This record gives sequence, structure tokens and C-alpha cells, in this order.
Amino acid sequence: MKNRLKVLRAERDWTQADLADRLEVSRQTVNAIEKGKYDPSLPLAFRISRIFERSIEEIFDPNPDDRPL
Amino acid sequence: MTNDSLTGFCSSPQRDRRNQWRVILWALVWALSFVAVTLGIKKEWFPFGVTLAGMAGTTLFGIATVLAYRRFLHETDELRRKIEVEALALAFGVGVVGGLTCWLLVVSHAVSATDFVYVFFLMLVAHPVGVLIGRRRYS
Repeated sequence: MKNRLKVLRAERDWTQADLADRLEVSRQTVNAIEKGKYDPSLPLAFRISRIFERSIEEIFDPNPDDRPL
Repeated sequence: MTNDSLTGFCSSPQRDRRNQWRVILWALVWALSFVAVTLGIKKEWFPFGVTLAGMAGTTLFGIATVLAYRRFLHETDELRRKIEVEALALAFGVGVVGGLTCWLLVVSHAVSATDFVYVFFLMLVAHPVGVLIGRRRYS
């Protein structure tokens, strides 16, 4: 799943560690989400949405192949 | 550090480290107790009652290790939990496949029943290997 996490983080001049602290997850988790290697759980997606004050859809863009028919 | 209203708990590196140390310490106590009881039985160091108490203690230390690990899994960061669960699946798979293969070898008298202990060692090795694979996969 694509996401705009890296862009949103860069806009705020936060490091991965800064964002990880705010989200209360490991830096590895932030890195894996940014690279699209790991899709966050729904609670974590909501936390990300709250921190960046954007809707989940504005941050996460499901791969077209993942969309239900 | 604040509580997460959505999940009911929050992850923190300090707590992860503390929980990990708990698991390691309980596992060490368990392993030492296991070795002491095994040697005690083989060398006939203790009377039967003491050996029996040692066996009960070893079992309790094992349960404490499992509970400490369960707590670690419950409180850790979600990616770490995923990595750990995948590593546990690998260890379980190795245990089942290795155990059944070993069973066939025992039935065919190719190895003795005591060689089953190697299956446990394989499982013990498979878990950290699985964790390493997971860390590489998600980094």
C-alpha cells in the first residue's frame, strides 16, 4: 500500500525517530511503513491520521490491485 | 509516554527492553534448573523427593518464561510482534516437520527415541533465525 508518510514527515522536519516517538512505535516500524513493506494496523493508521491531521485516505493510497471489484 | 486509547496500551523501547530481559532471565533460570535436574537424575545426587521438587520447579520456571514472553508479545510494537509471530510459525513448522521425520526414523530404528531432543534444539535455533529473517524483510 502506497502512502505519503515520508512527505508529511519531511514537511514537519521530523526524523523517523521523532515520528516513531510520537506514534509510540519503533523506528523500524515507521521505516517499514514508509517503504511500503508493512501496512499498519487500523489503530496505528488512526494514530497517524490524528498526528498529521489528515484523513486516512489522504495518507494511505491502496494499490489499485488491492481494491475490491 | 501516553496511553493509546485505541489499543489500550502503548509501546516503548524501555518497556520492550525490560520485558525482553525478563524473558531472558526466566529462560536462563529455566535452562539452569533443567540442566541441574537432569544431572541430578543421571548422577543420583539427590533423593527422589528433592528430584521431584526440582522437576516441579523446572516446570514452573518454564511456565514463567512462557508468560514473560507472552507479556513481551502483547506489549511490544506491532511490527516486532508480527516478526516474532512469523518466527514462532517457522519454529513450529520446524518442530512439526522435524518431529514427524524424527518419529519415522525412530520407527524404522534408524535413530533412537532420545534423538528427539535434537528436534527441540532445531526449534530453539529456528526462532532466532526467523526473527533475523523478519528484521531483514521489514528493514
